[in-house]
Amino acid sequence: MFHRKVARLAASALAIGLLAGSAFAETTVNFTVAEYSSKTGPFYKQVAADFEKANPDIKINIEVVPWDSLLQRLTTDIAGGTPPDMSIIGTRWLLDFASQGVAEPVDKYLTPEFKGTFIDTFMKPGIINGKTMGLPVAASARAMVINTDLYNKAGVKPPKTWEDLYNASEKISKLPDTFGFGLQGKEIETDAYYYYALWTFGGDILRPDGKSGLDSPEALAAATFYKKMIDKGLTQPSPTNYSREDVFNLFKQGKVGTIFTFPMLIPQIKAEAPNLHYAVLPFPIQKTEATYGVTDTLMLFSSSKVKAAAWKFIEFTYQDKYRKQFDLGEGFLPVTKNIAALDYFKNDKDIAGFAAGLPYAKFAPVIANWEEIADTTVRALQQIYLGQVSPEDGLKAAAKKINGIRGL
Amino acid sequence: MLKKSLLFWLILSPLVVVILFPFGVMFVTAFRPREELFTYPPTWTFSEFRWANFAEMWVKTNFGRALLNSLYVSVLSTVLAMILSIPAAYALSRYRFPGKRAYRTFLLMTQMMSPIVLVLGLFRMMVTLGLVNTLNSLVLTYAAFNMAFTIWMLQSYFSTIPRDLEEAAWIDGAGHLTSLLRVFLPLAVPAMAVTAIFGFINSWNEFVLALTMIRSSDGFTLPVQIYSQVAGRYQIEWHHVMAATMLATLPVAIVFSWLQRFLIRGMALGAVK
Amino acid sequence: MNLSAGFKPLAMILPGLALAVLIIGYPIYDLGYASLHEVSRFGQFRGLNGLTNFRDVFQDPLFYGSLIRTVIWTFAVVGGTLALSLPIAMMLNEEFYGRGLARVIIMLPWSISLTMTAVVWRWALNGRAGLFNATLMDLGILKEPIEWLGEAHQAFTVEILIGILVSIPFTTTIFLGGLSALPQDSYEAAAVDGATRWDQFRHITLPLMKPFINIAVVLNVIYVFNSLPIIWVMTEGGPANGTDILVTYLYKLAFRFGQLGKASAISLIMFGVLMVFTIIYVLLVMRGEAGADAEE
Repeated sequence: MFHRKVARLAASALAIGLLAGSAFAETTVNFTVAEYSSKTGPFYKQVAADFEKANPDIKINIEVVPWDSLLQRLTTDIAGGTPPDMSIIGTRWLLDFASQGVAEPVDKYLTPEFKGTFIDTFMKPGIINGKTMGLPVAASARAMVINTDLYNKAGVKPPKTWEDLYNASEKISKLPDTFGFGLQGKEIETDAYYYYALWTFGGDILRPDGKSGLDSPEALAAATFYKKMIDKGLTQPSPTNYSREDVFNLFKQGKVGTIFTFPMLIPQIKAEAPNLHYAVLPFPIQKTEATYGVTDTLMLFSSSKVKAAAWKFIEFTYQDKYRKQFDLGEGFLPVTKNIAALDYFKNDKDIAGFAAGLPYAKFAPVIANWEEIADTTVRALQQIYLGQVSPEDGLKAAAKKINGIRGL
Repeated sequence: MLKKSLLFWLILSPLVVVILFPFGVMFVTAFRPREELFTYPPTWTFSEFRWANFAEMWVKTNFGRALLNSLYVSVLSTVLAMILSIPAAYALSRYRFPGKRAYRTFLLMTQMMSPIVLVLGLFRMMVTLGLVNTLNSLVLTYAAFNMAFTIWMLQSYFSTIPRDLEEAAWIDGAGHLTSLLRVFLPLAVPAMAVTAIFGFINSWNEFVLALTMIRSSDGFTLPVQIYSQVAGRYQIEWHHVMAATMLATLPVAIVFSWLQRFLIRGMALGAVK
Repeated sequence: MNLSAGFKPLAMILPGLALAVLIIGYPIYDLGYASLHEVSRFGQFRGLNGLTNFRDVFQDPLFYGSLIRTVIWTFAVVGGTLALSLPIAMMLNEEFYGRGLARVIIMLPWSISLTMTAVVWRWALNGRAGLFNATLMDLGILKEPIEWLGEAHQAFTVEILIGILVSIPFTTTIFLGGLSALPQDSYEAAAVDGATRWDQFRHITLPLMKPFINIAVVLNVIYVFNSLPIIWVMTEGGPANGTDILVTYLYKLAFRFGQLGKASAISLIMFGVLMVFTIIYVLLVMRGEAGADAEE
């Protein structure tokens, strides 16, 4: 009796599988979508449905993957010989994909007209050895966000230089249960939080000769500055327990004067801390102005057998109406000129605050083994923040290791 | 008796508090209005029960689908593991055969490999079998990983069922198979049920393999679906995450508390060998 | 007694064996193959490179740190679990008011997946947004919030405690099963002889519970040694690799840094460590049992 039930179940499962397989014998494009928020999956599914209506012979198969497991998923897929046809990836991984022959150069598909829809700044990181390896799909630039209520209460002005920030943080930290500066020290982008300082102090991730810039005087000055803020109690205690999200939560609680963040935080503040008053400002400056531009790339796999169909879908997704829905929904900065020209991006004070840095934005270097290099940097920073090593020793050791990874 | 009860509860109380604490956290976060997630200092109280959190979460996380997937995988893998384990356990408890010890050692060894370690190889194999992105790949792997434990439990239990009963039936003229079905099986059913629950829970909670093998979100099981609400997003909607966790946990917890007396009884009868 | 031997038992174990060999055996072979080859960033095999992967592992200082922490993690979690579970099981085995409820509560952590337990604890332990500190402060136990996961030693301790908490239900179940199978008459005899409860525990309970304790040790060691979710979710092995154990380090190597050859080598080393442990344990502790086994 029981066995028969199981058999029937199995048979029906099989039948469903067969039906699903045979009903669509046309071209199928597998598209791995990184999940930015709960809106990402439904958005791309809707675009795919529209596309299938217009192109009944092509089926788009969307696979939504959480960001944290995206690289693992793609690794297993490629290792197993079943990569998707196209995927959203972090641009910082692109070189690994390109140098292993996994990514397909898209120049031959890219018509001048289509190419012209993109903002050049965002195209650049996807160009490797003169070949376009992918298209920008999402972009953000970082900026400083301050809690204006706390600044007013402490009677200080919004900071322009790091010196200002230090002094303001000192005053704000004196308010009860409040910290001047929210410093991230845990998990993803702990290194980015340090690059903001590194760049504005005049340093860089890599020297012109390709070696690590972490052992430069500028890098040391930036790390020493953070460490001093920790020691003087101007940051929240134990930054190494604060991931990006934790720091932002502290800000939403109204407990911290200044944080460095991305545009996607603004809608969250509006929903979760509607009474918080804030302002979006450029990063403080020591030597030069800088911001971190982060892009994600839409890439085509070289192993794909349906590149033409995939490309057709790619062009379809870059229509203005979809880009507008995507950028506004996720809170990204536009990567296409038409969307950037929308009133919203010009007039919205917050968005304009983030977009202002774009002309001088720096991007993570497109180099091999970036994840490991970033991890080495994070490890050094955590040791410095915890006081396990001096900033000088920590950075020197990290630079040496990075040069080793880079084979220099 | 009363004094003893009070004493026992007193001794157990720290542990009880620590166990219940995360459930409490889950509960108050799940029902909280979103605006009250980040009050400082954090409080256990909140202004109203926001039932809408659950409704929103259900739609947003495609919860129903994930629930069905989890049920499908857990039930089928448990059934498969049982079908394969019962004869093996019977053989281990009733027969002497060459390679018996080697077989036992092999079973123990299969427990030593963490699925994480094997994930790449498993994936390659599923590709060859054409099973990637099907729930059946999980059914097979869960069954295989659970089998060592189920065989071991069943076997130790079967050994406690007196063989004379089977023999007696045998001598009475019943065939071997008949004696199995009439005498052995009814006695073994409770143990099988208990063992099946273990298998079911392991499959229900498994995460790493499900994350790797299932590629489209339509096939996600509950742990993966919930994890994807937390992992690496620019925004985590904690009230939805906790609501989902609560809904995923509650039915198991209820069934579990009802069944736990059988679990223990099964363990006792199984008198581990 | 033995029913007719021959091919029948083999036929009975064969289907299960086939599945296990396929699902678990093949990946192990794949792992061994990968560990001896140069493997590309994305898992494509390049050339044979002998023991280079293993040499890389043994030259890596982070490997030794993780190895030591794995040993600490395993011993602390398994030891703590056993030390707590036995008295708990003994209490739950006695009659008292509300025993049913107590059993249900103790078993409760089993019903949530490890990943979710870790997520909830991480959220609760958050220094300023978490309810753990807030509650302790309301009760007057703490004056200032503590950043539980900010520093490696403390974070590791917290993770070990949570590891113990989630291992208790399984272990207690095994022990409860064992306790309820103990013959009551030996206790009665001991009581007549005037033995104290402690004597009873030492001379009756402990020896009779030995097989249960042994199986709890072996299974827990295997599960805890290989357990990723708690540490991964709460600290990802940080800060500064201070809570990395072999599994978390391996996961980073394989899926973040793409060093699949080296990761395969570590997997095999881990497998070897567990196997050596089990063999030693079986030889030293489960000997008596092995003798009983042979009599069957």
